[in-house]
Amino acid sequence: MRNCLLPAALLPLTCLAAGAGEDLFREIVQPTLKQQCLGCHGEGNTFAELDLRTRDGALKGGLRGAAVVAGDPGSGTLIAALEHAGELKMPPGGDEKKLPADTVRAFREWVAAGAAYGPAASEAAWDYAEEDLWAFRPLQKTAPPEIADTEMKIRTPVDRFILEKLAEKNLPPGPRADKLTLLRRVTFDLTGLPPTPQEVREFLDDTDAGAYKKVVERLLASPRYGERWGRHWLDVTRYADTSGYSNDFERPTAWRYRDYVIRSFNADKPYDRFILEQIAGDEIFPDDPEAILATGFLRTGPWEHTGMAVAAVTRQLFLDDVTHHVGQTFLGLTLGCARCHDHKFDPIPTKDYYRMQAVFASTAFARRPLDFQPYEPTAGFAAGEKYYSDTIADLDRRMDLLHERGRVRLAAAKGEEAAAKAASGALQRYLDKEEGETLKLLRKQKTLHQGSAQRFNPIATAVSSGLVKAWNDIPSGANSYMQKGDYANAQTHVLVGGDLQAPSDPVSPGALEAVARYSALPAADIPQTVSGRRRALAEWVADPRNPLTARVMVNRIWQYHFGRGIAANPNNFGKMGKKPTHPQLLDWLAAFFVEQGWSVKAVHRVILLSEAYRRSAEHPTPAALQQTDPENLYLARFSPRRLEAEEIRDSMLAVAGELSDSTGGPGTYPQINSDAARQPRHAQGSLRPAYQPAPKRRDRNRRSIYSFQQRSLLDPMIEAFNGANPDLTCERRESSTVPTQAFALLNGEQSHDMALIMAQRVEAEADSPARRIARAFKLAYGRSPADDELALALDHYAKMCEHHAAHPARPRGEEPTIVAMITSELTGEKYQFAQPRLKVDYEHNPHPSEATPETRALADIALALFNSNEFVYVY
Amino acid sequence: MQRKVHTAQPSRREFLYHSGMGLGALALTAMLHGEKARAGVLAPKQGHYRAKAKNCIFLLMEGGPSHIDTFDPKHKLIDLHMTEFVKERTKFEASMNTGRRYFVRSPFAFQRAGKLGIEINKKFRHFADCVDDVCFYRGLQATSVNHPTALYHLNTGNRFGGDPAMGSWVTYGLGTENQNLPGFVVLPDLAYPQGGAGNWSNGFLPAYFQGTPLRSQGAPVLDMNPPEYVDREQQRANLDFLGELNRRHMERRPAHDELAARIESYELAFRMQAEMPEAIDLDAEPEATRELYGLNSENADVVSLGRRCLLARRLVERGVRFVQVMASGWDSHDYIEKAHGSRMDAVDQPIAALLKDLKRSGLLEETLVVWAGEFGRSPDNGIRGVDKAWGRDHNAPAMAFWMAGGDAPRGKIVGATDETGRTAVETVHPIKNLHITLLRLLGLDDAKLTYFAQGRDKQLSQTGGELIRELVA
Repeated sequence: MRNCLLPAALLPLTCLAAGAGEDLFREIVQPTLKQQCLGCHGEGNTFAELDLRTRDGALKGGLRGAAVVAGDPGSGTLIAALEHAGELKMPPGGDEKKLPADTVRAFREWVAAGAAYGPAASEAAWDYAEEDLWAFRPLQKTAPPEIADTEMKIRTPVDRFILEKLAEKNLPPGPRADKLTLLRRVTFDLTGLPPTPQEVREFLDDTDAGAYKKVVERLLASPRYGERWGRHWLDVTRYADTSGYSNDFERPTAWRYRDYVIRSFNADKPYDRFILEQIAGDEIFPDDPEAILATGFLRTGPWEHTGMAVAAVTRQLFLDDVTHHVGQTFLGLTLGCARCHDHKFDPIPTKDYYRMQAVFASTAFARRPLDFQPYEPTAGFAAGEKYYSDTIADLDRRMDLLHERGRVRLAAAKGEEAAAKAASGALQRYLDKEEGETLKLLRKQKTLHQGSAQRFNPIATAVSSGLVKAWNDIPSGANSYMQKGDYANAQTHVLVGGDLQAPSDPVSPGALEAVARYSALPAADIPQTVSGRRRALAEWVADPRNPLTARVMVNRIWQYHFGRGIAANPNNFGKMGKKPTHPQLLDWLAAFFVEQGWSVKAVHRVILLSEAYRRSAEHPTPAALQQTDPENLYLARFSPRRLEAEEIRDSMLAVAGELSDSTGGPGTYPQINSDAARQPRHAQGSLRPAYQPAPKRRDRNRRSIYSFQQRSLLDPMIEAFNGANPDLTCERRESSTVPTQAFALLNGEQSHDMALIMAQRVEAEADSPARRIARAFKLAYGRSPADDELALALDHYAKMCEHHAAHPARPRGEEPTIVAMITSELTGEKYQFAQPRLKVDYEHNPHPSEATPETRALADIALALFNSNEFVYVY
Repeated sequence: MQRKVHTAQPSRREFLYHSGMGLGALALTAMLHGEKARAGVLAPKQGHYRAKAKNCIFLLMEGGPSHIDTFDPKHKLIDLHMTEFVKERTKFEASMNTGRRYFVRSPFAFQRAGKLGIEINKKFRHFADCVDDVCFYRGLQATSVNHPTALYHLNTGNRFGGDPAMGSWVTYGLGTENQNLPGFVVLPDLAYPQGGAGNWSNGFLPAYFQGTPLRSQGAPVLDMNPPEYVDREQQRANLDFLGELNRRHMERRPAHDELAARIESYELAFRMQAEMPEAIDLDAEPEATRELYGLNSENADVVSLGRRCLLARRLVERGVRFVQVMASGWDSHDYIEKAHGSRMDAVDQPIAALLKDLKRSGLLEETLVVWAGEFGRSPDNGIRGVDKAWGRDHNAPAMAFWMAGGDAPRGKIVGATDETGRTAVETVHPIKNLHITLLRLLGLDDAKLTYFAQGRDKQLSQTGGELIRELVA
């Protein structure tokens, strides 16, 4: 028997008889040609004049002669190229791209068997099922279904669509949620915080028919709204304050983009404008500071260039990142798939991917001078600048001592002149091993601190069209390549297999052909000029006729309200994404969104005021519902959700009365787990400074969206509760329950501190144990304790008072010195360094040793409240 | 074979009524509910193939160990020493590799070990005894010469990070034997590696599959213990009170399974709290074992890695699926004799002890041990300092790799590099094929071990590849 190593599932092991060639073609050769070859040799490109779409084309071959000689795999260019037998190796990209041996063998067998082509291989290019193209089709605004509203189940047009589907599925809608539940739901939803007892009372007392509407308007007008919904947008756009990878350098004033996003949501900036600003603010509104800050969007991905990296590769990394990112964020398409091959599932050929990428080929990184605006908070800058200048001065002082020591020795060896002009690195060689390593570490920390100090500079981490030397934002190692003016005449090529070393056909800037093909929006007309490419793309994205844009955004909004999108994969409207459960509702909302001037708040209103949103999480017939609609796709009831990580932390701070109301500005350093803060972490070749929480309570207890987002050290508590990973776009927060969450919330120092602060608060606000406990329940749950709960809590309180009276807490211990260690690259030996203390001039939180047994007992109750299901779930 | 799985699952009743940490009957109900909600997420599962190895200990040599100076000696470099190394320059060259460069011979002496007389560095005195259990693979090629991207590539299959680590994929595919310990444990060196926790991230997989770093000092898992002023009695009383609050709440909300799952997670946390101290208690080991791993060594590095290797064995023995041990400091650009010499001194005894210990208990049969860095090192160097500063830069096309245990071949060399060690030339495969092979050795099929994310079914190899057949005995 011949050596058949084809996957058993695909072919019987009895080898090739007549007809096997066609099987091979259908099962292996054709899919491989389509994925790996036709991008260049067919479908628009015929590199080397070779067209592999048809058998004739393969037999005729190209500039190098016949690709296939039927029956003779030893001749023709195809098999030799696939086998890497000669100079020509395909697909391009070296061994990494070589096809699996099984596949290559199948090609060989196929040629040997006569190279049969199955029918109509070339037609495959645009052969997509209509049902998979829904998102590319024009919006169909149909009138909301006519439904008899006998039971007041219709509040907004949204209800008509929902009720129609429920009737169709024979699912009776459940009752409305009670007022407290509804208030808690909508308050968390719009602000990420619990309602205060005052807000609860006002709403419960307000018997006006429009009471709920008033609440919605109050919340939409609250500055807390932008902090909550800005966070959603930052999840999608992968916001962080640092650039990741090895050095994880601070991205100067990245926070200005974060604040821009918050302001935009608060101001209900029309979404089309929001798009234009983020993709091309600098080109379209060059005099508007907001539009410059907005382009920080294009710089949010992790990116680093070091001497170990290849500049052309890191530049390409940016281009791929930004192309994919724009596609996913605004168009709900995973363009990245088309980087190496025509998209397997969606009508996005590789050529389109590179045409989109060509839009950004003239885009350069820019650190643009941009004055702080009156509305940007700069009050703490002086103190912050002093902190960094003092820290850097201290590092300089310590380095000078070592430099001097090295200089003396260098002078003795090579003379004064050599010593006088020697740089730090040269002097390091004349130091003892340990001194040399210390010097290196100090240098690194200085570089990192200098980077951080720039957060106070009036600059924007942004982009420009074409390189502007004065705004250079490229690390020196990459300059030689990235500054050579590849921007002005940037010519993008299709990169075969996504490989930079395999450029093929040149392409001009463009957008997705499929949109023009299937919708009413004409193809984008994008100029080849240095400036104006992004503008044209942005205008195409924000065009009301673009079938994807409005659908993608209203679907995101819907998801954040109901826990699940109408189409359940907000970043993927292609074939592989889940199909919409209510396609007509999605289109109606999208059209409504555009009609309302792309107002996000208008979409909130039409959703929040619907009866569907106000439904109880409990259903009268839960068992039947579980049977028919276990995932609650049709919304007969409301789906409860666990709070997101930031909501849990912010709520804990809020009910303790500790949440700072300061907004915006450079990221703050919250209290994180001390072991994590002390954990030494590498920066390229050395160590980064230890994490230090902000000394002032007001600073470190800000809302979590203002926490400094360091890619290499996320707050472990936020991480445990499924926080967003800033290296990836996050379309929806996960809520899996893992034991580390119990550790963080029950044992974490922050939880204990907040519990004690809350205890002090209720002691001040009420005058008996029962009233204090009742107050704590009101703050945490928005309701008074039931009688049995109060009795239970009082019992626990009494027990804990007794316990604490017998077991006083020891005073706060001395903070340990942090000893960091590093392995020297030179000697392989380990060196120790004492890092600065975590808490310098620190305004401590209250400590149990300073509290009475009664206060500590109340803190025990507060801690249990923080950990309880009623606190961390909304219904 | 003695395998201590008896600690894995105390019966629920037993735990609840005898541990003293329980929440009472409420929690029992909750756990049964919770179990339904979490059904099977981490429960042990059958792989796609029959494979001997069920666990993996991945010894990650961070920094890029030189194959030329460890397990793949190049005598040709003795002749070429200090002659100029000329190679084609392209714009695809990192600035690190520019300037005049010279071949550099290895400053180390080599020995022949095992039945085949495989040449390895003489510094591997202990490891020399293990060569017949090991398969050296010389055909592996990395892509990136940048530490963080190369580390991400080796650990997650994706150079640019964000994807699940191999340990996450394996735990996703096989579950884990001990529900009271994390299924994927990471034992980092003193400092976290470049790229940080992204190296053991669950990426787009659910959080159940995240790597848990165990700290060598303080609480092994962050916040596993309450602050020092909270005693056991207070903790228990608070938990009971919390349990009562949750019970009343659940009575009002009977239809929501996730509430029970969350109550159960507190129980799981405290079972972990109860079990972890025993699992990591190295003092419980016989003195001879401690001696074997070098815990009494005067070399602090040996003690540090010895502790982590011994801990790895204890964890695997208790049903942890995947343990990754980090040993850093291999980035020896200069002074390779000292720098790499000290690394070899540090790893030799602990790693040999691990192999010997696993073998004698029979665990090596079902444990795949992998030793790898993120890339290899170059046969050439830009000369810095004077003659004594010989070193090596990063090199992706050839690198050091070996593995042992399970169905891995024993006492064998697979593949070869060219005469200077610059590039692999025989049985050459990229990292993705190694990943496919390692999964296969653990009974998993990369093409079937997929998870829908970012618009498609994603897999460790990213886009598939082929098995390195020579590495499967």
